[in-house]
Amino acid sequence: MLISCLKYLRCLIASFLFFIFALSSAWAKVDFAYSSEWLALGHYQKDGKGYESTIDTPNFFLSKNGKVNPKDELMASIDLFESENNEQKCLFPARYKLLKKNKLIKSSLPHCEELEKFYADLQPKGVTFLFTDAYMNSPSSLFGHTLLRIDTARKGTQLLAHGANYGAFTGDNPGPLYPILGIVGGYFGGFTVKPYYDIINTYNNIENRDIWEFELDFSQEELDFFVAHLWEVGHAQSRYYFFTRNCSYMLMETLDAVRPSLKLAQKFAVQTIPLDTVKAVYNSKGLVKKVNYRPSRQNKIKNLYKQMSETEKKCFLQTITEQNYDMDGLSEEEKARVAEAAYQYVQYKYVARDLELKDYRKQSFGLLKVRSKLKNKEKENATFGEQNSFEAHDSMRFTWGAGVRNGTGFQEIAYRPAYHSLTDDNYGFLQGAEINFLNTTLRHYDKDDKYVLQKFELLGIRSVAPIDAMFAPISFQILADVSREINPDDGKEGYVANLVVGGGGTLALHDNFWLFAMINNHLAYGGFLPRNQWAGVGAQVGVLVNVGDWRGLAEAEKVYASSKIGAKNIYKGEVVYSLNRNWAVALHYKYQQNYGRDIDETYLGFRSYF
Amino acid sequence: MKKIYFASLFVGAAMFASAPAFAVDSTGCGLGSMAWKGNSGIGPQVLAATTNGSFGTQTFGITFGTSGCDPNGRVSGGTGRMMLAFLENNMEQFALDVAAGHGETIDTVAGILNVDSKEFGLKAQAQFAYLFANENVEAVDLTLKVLQLA
Repeated sequence: MLISCLKYLRCLIASFLFFIFALSSAWAKVDFAYSSEWLALGHYQKDGKGYESTIDTPNFFLSKNGKVNPKDELMASIDLFESENNEQKCLFPARYKLLKKNKLIKSSLPHCEELEKFYADLQPKGVTFLFTDAYMNSPSSLFGHTLLRIDTARKGTQLLAHGANYGAFTGDNPGPLYPILGIVGGYFGGFTVKPYYDIINTYNNIENRDIWEFELDFSQEELDFFVAHLWEVGHAQSRYYFFTRNCSYMLMETLDAVRPSLKLAQKFAVQTIPLDTVKAVYNSKGLVKKVNYRPSRQNKIKNLYKQMSETEKKCFLQTITEQNYDMDGLSEEEKARVAEAAYQYVQYKYVARDLELKDYRKQSFGLLKVRSKLKNKEKENATFGEQNSFEAHDSMRFTWGAGVRNGTGFQEIAYRPAYHSLTDDNYGFLQGAEINFLNTTLRHYDKDDKYVLQKFELLGIRSVAPIDAMFAPISFQILADVSREINPDDGKEGYVANLVVGGGGTLALHDNFWLFAMINNHLAYGGFLPRNQWAGVGAQVGVLVNVGDWRGLAEAEKVYASSKIGAKNIYKGEVVYSLNRNWAVALHYKYQQNYGRDIDETYLGFRSYF
Repeated sequence: MKKIYFASLFVGAAMFASAPAFAVDSTGCGLGSMAWKGNSGIGPQVLAATTNGSFGTQTFGITFGTSGCDPNGRVSGGTGRMMLAFLENNMEQFALDVAAGHGETIDTVAGILNVDSKEFGLKAQAQFAYLFANENVEAVDLTLKVLQLA
């Protein structure tokens, strides 16, 4: 009796314990489904009360509603690794690692041939975050680009490493609608890998963009997990949104998956500007261990040129213009420098399609022959005081100030979500490049005590780049805005939509004193205008000065137009002083002549970048 | 007036029609997700490279950055195949580094060959005229010569 009772008790305790264990394990799973590790690995972001994964392709989810239900997805993942479906297991090596580490599964990963080949090719040794700076010749590259590099343990150099690029799959012939489709999510984006030498060729050598390399401080475990996760997302795709869920955003989520405490993605809920992600990475504690700079071909040539003596410079210019490779009067070392710079220049010209293949080969070989006969000089690691992009001013700008317009006082606030104007502190930016996006200006005029939208700038792009003996870039501008204007016939004010597209050239009288001239096409549209529109052509000259913390911009333009309201002379001046990287004071002056309705305006503003 | 209008439209359109750089592959072969698939490799080329070198590959001066065409977008294979893929895509810089006797591509090639890069650089510079005999160097020929040199 006693024995059977004891037995019964034991049985009861055992089953109770089992029940508790089962319950706690179920609870543990529920808990884990909402842990930062699991959420980051599934690219889940908070969506109202629930979650939604950024990944859109169904093959990334094992459960039917895995995209919105992290718990179901966890259960389905556990089931997978306890099943015999080896092929599918091989697609989720990072999930396997995470579940195993948390003792949620017992099985081991099967032999995965393709995955092992991936590891064997990559031979991962570390991870480096890459930033390539702005490329003014393509609107989609204006804000720069970011990639990840899987460093290699191979002998030699990191040229044999691999870059992982997240981009939109636009197809071979994207057609005229592609910018719109790229913005509204008309394309899918995904990861691709390429040898790093390919990436260098594309950015440094073809597009002439500098590359910044940020070596990440990952442990061996984090590195393994990163590569495993890259394999997972490499098979998945997401809708691509140029301004938000773009190339840079996806990298943030990917880094979060490796180290959930980084919480990088949540910083980019509104807009994702590549440079801002660089700053976020750089400023994440314990993430970046080393920064390297890899100049573009054009900057390499410029840097070599800067190092040259006057005699060398003269000889270099002779070499590239007359193909005279004698270089009389130069020492061996000087000859070597001139030949190397000239060789790079020939490559530059060929890529820019300024040189026929035949001439290109002849000149290249001529210079190589000269160089090969000179001594092997040890590499000099000269630095050129390059400016760190990640220490540049922040992308958003708020301006407030006050001024006088034709004797009437006014106050103004302006907000610009992105990105950089000619008179902003250009430390870390491409000098002479301007990208203003959605710059909005509100004013209050004292005279009739009214608040008005003074100007809404949809987009403003300007590239002012000096022409010299080596390079002959075109300077250009594209401005699209809605602004408040006066009709000279009746003095009434109203709104006009403007489009200005212009091109010209820039001359550097000194490193910091540039002169530019442009011919501009003007188009204006609006119900306020006589016949609703006008068109015009403007001749514009300007001066851009840059001295220490001071910048100055002066412009004069004469516009010939189909309507009186468009025909005007505009004189503008701007002097800006930077208090520090994120604060500046700006003094503006504008004088506009338009059939007696002249505007004389002085304005003092404080700019804050954040 | 219409002319001005069209001119403006044209300039704007031209700007936007320039390379879609947010796209995956603006210069390469547009392999896209192919990069993640298995591969058949560039075996035939290596075969040619290690037999008679008659397989026509790219020559000096038309190769810059066009390699998005690697079949799987990855550094792969043994010494010969890796060397060919590397030299095909870096011939311009390699030519300069050979002429100078040092440089990043010399370090890389020496790494692939598993030899000392300083010695290899000196040897390569001394053999410049052999490695780059004329203006029409082909990647396969160059690969064979470099493999021989080590």
